[in-house]
Amino acid sequence: MIKAENIKKTYPGKVPTPALKGVSFDIADGEFIAIMGRSGSGKSTLLHQLSLIDTPTEGKVFLNKRDVTHLTDVQKTEFRLEHLGYVFQEYALIVEFNALENVYLPAMALGKDPRVYTKRATELLTLVGLGERLDHYPHELSGGEQQRVAIARALINEPEIVFADEPTANLDTASAKTVLELFAKLNKDLKQTIVMVTHEEDDKKYVDRVIWLEDGLIDKIEK
Amino acid sequence: MQDLSTAFFIAYKSITRGNKSMLALMIFILSLSFLNMMFVSGVLAGIWQGELGAMRSFVTADINVNPQQKPQVKQFIQNQNQLRAQIETISGVEATVRHYQLAGSLSYDKDKNGQYRSVSGVILGIDPTQESKVLAADKLLLAGARLTDTDTDQIVLSSAVAGGYGSIERGGSDLGGARAGDKVLVTYSNGIQRTYTVKGIYNDVLGINYTYITTKEAESVLSVSDSASQILVKVDMSRDSIADYEGRIQTIAPNLVVRDYTSLLGSIASFEKALELISIIVSVISVLVAAVTIFVLIYVNAINKRRQIGILKAIGIKQKIIVNAYIFQSLFYTLCGLGIGAIAVFGILSPLLTAHPIPLIAGALNLMLSFTSLGICISVLSFIAAGYLAGRVPARLVAREDILTAIWG
Ligand SMILES: Nc1ncnc2c1ncn2[C@@H]1O[C@H](COP(=O)(O)OP(=O)(O)O)[C@@H](O)[C@H]1O
Ligand SMILES: [Mg+2]
Repeated sequence: MIKAENIKKTYPGKVPTPALKGVSFDIADGEFIAIMGRSGSGKSTLLHQLSLIDTPTEGKVFLNKRDVTHLTDVQKTEFRLEHLGYVFQEYALIVEFNALENVYLPAMALGKDPRVYTKRATELLTLVGLGERLDHYPHELSGGEQQRVAIARALINEPEIVFADEPTANLDTASAKTVLELFAKLNKDLKQTIVMVTHEEDDKKYVDRVIWLEDGLIDKIEK
Repeated sequence: MQDLSTAFFIAYKSITRGNKSMLALMIFILSLSFLNMMFVSGVLAGIWQGELGAMRSFVTADINVNPQQKPQVKQFIQNQNQLRAQIETISGVEATVRHYQLAGSLSYDKDKNGQYRSVSGVILGIDPTQESKVLAADKLLLAGARLTDTDTDQIVLSSAVAGGYGSIERGGSDLGGARAGDKVLVTYSNGIQRTYTVKGIYNDVLGINYTYITTKEAESVLSVSDSASQILVKVDMSRDSIADYEGRIQTIAPNLVVRDYTSLLGSIASFEKALELISIIVSVISVLVAAVTIFVLIYVNAINKRRQIGILKAIGIKQKIIVNAYIFQSLFYTLCGLGIGAIAVFGILSPLLTAHPIPLIAGALNLMLSFTSLGICISVLSFIAAGYLAGRVPARLVAREDILTAIWG
C-alpha cells in the first residue's frame, strides 16, 4: 500500500535542517501503523511526505504501487481528495460549516451525488458517535468531538489510507481513548489502512506495528 | 461545474455564518461608492442635458433655417412668410418664427453728462407674439415688459448688457446700469443711429446677451421686407426624429442651410467635454474606492483564515475552488452594494429631484439626474469587474501559500 524508498527531507534555511536522513519501509494494505519517537525526531515530516502534503528532497513515495513523489501540486491535491484522508492535531474543522457539512465537503468537491454523500456523512457521524450532533457547529463541540468529526471527514471519500498526526495530543484521557478505539475499530471492521503519529507509548496496544524514528532515521520497527 | 458549486457553497456558508456587522459595513460602503458614482455622473450629465434643454427652449429652438450659402452667399432668406407657412404644413412642426440679426453698438449716458458708455453686440429683430410660441425667453424677464409686435422705439436688453445686476462681470463692457424707461442710443453697423427706450431687461443666465427690437424696426433699419436672417422651428420630437424633420424642411427649401440644435452649440460643446471628464474621474475614483475596500476586506479575511485555507488544501480542496469562493463572496458584496446603490439613485434620489426640483438657474435650469443606458452599463460592469478582481487578487495571494506554512507557519 505504502512504500517509502530512502526518503530524505532537508528544510532549506540559513542553516538547513535535515529532518529525514533516509527512511525506507513498507506498509501493507489494512495495517494500523504508529510512528513514534521523541519530539523533533521527524515524525510529522515523514507523515507529510507520505501524505503528499510535502515533497521529499530525495527518495520516492509509492502509494498503491504508483510513484507519486513528483506529481504536480494540482495532481497531489486531487490525489489527496480521492485516495487519502488526513486528521490533524486540532482545530481542523471549517468553522462556518456544521458537523455534517464539514464531513461531506470533500465528497461534494469530488462531485458525488448530494443525496449519497449526505447519507454517508450521516452514517459516518453516527459511526463516530455523533449521530445526534449533525447540525452542530465546531464551537459547539468539544475537542474530542471535533476530532471525531475530523475522522469522519477523513473517511468520507473512502480513502485507501488515513493519516493522523498526533490526533489525541490535545485531548483529555477519556476523549483520547475514544478516538484511538475508533481508529482501531475502523482498522478492524473496515480494514482501513491507518498511519498515525503519536508520542504516547501506551498507544502501542492499538496498532499492528510501530515505526520508531530517531533523529531523522528509523531506529527500529516493532511488531 | 462541481468546482463552482463547491466554491459557491463555501462562499454561501462564509457569508451566512460570517460576521454580520462586517458584512453590513462592507455592503454599506459599496452602496455609497456606487451611489456616489451614479449620482455625480448623473448630476453632471443632468447639468449638460439641462443646459442643452435651456439653450433649446430659450435660444436655438429645435431646428434653424439659415440663408443660402451656395452657390452665392445670401444675407437673408426671402419670402419668409410663404416659406414659414410651407414649413408649418409639415406634420409635427409646431411653430416657426423668424429673426433678423443685426450688429451695432449701444450707448447710454447714465448721468446725463455727455459721458456715454458703449457696448457692441448682436441685435435681434423678433416678432414678439410669434416668438413666444417657439422660445420661452419671456420667462427670463427681470424688469419691465416684453416687446409687442408694433413697437418701433423700444428695446429689450439683457442684464449683462444693461449692467449693474451683479450677474456676469463683463469687465466694464456694460452700459453701467441702464434700466427700464432709460434711453439708449443704437448705432447700427450700416451707420444708422436710433434712440430707443428700454422696455424690459431679461436675465442673462445662459450667457446669451442679445439685444431685442421688433422685426418692424429691424426692417426699417435694414430697408428690407418679408425677409429673415434665420427661421427657428419648433417640432414635436415624440413624433419623428429631428433628422426626419430636417430632411423634410430641406426638401422644401433646398438652397437654405438647415441645422438642428445640437450643431448650434459650438460655444458650449467644450463644457460638455469638461463635464464628461469630471464624470469619468469621479467614476474611476468610486470604482477604486470600492475595489480597495473589497480588496482589504477579502485580504484580511483570507489572512485570518490562512490555517483553514491550508487545511482545506490538505484535505484535497483545489486552490481554484478556494479562490473562487472568495470571488463569489466579493461578487456578492459588490452586487448587494450595487443593488442598494441603484435603488438609492434610481428609486429615491432621481424621483425625489423630479418631484421637488432644485433650481440651479431660476426659471431656466433645474438640478436633475440624467443617465444613458450605455453609461449605466459601463458603470455597472466596471463595478462588477472591480469586485471580481478585488476578490480574486488577495484570495490568490493567500491561497497560493504552501500547506505547511499556512497551517503551522
Ligand atoms: N517547516 C520547517 N522548516 C524548518 N525546519 C522544520 C520545519 N518543520 C520541522 N522542522 C524541523 O525538522 C525537524 C523534525 O521536525 P518534525 O518532523 O516536526 O518532528 P516531530 O513531529 O517528530 O516532532 C525538527 O528539528 C524541526 O525543527
Ligand atoms: Mg510533530
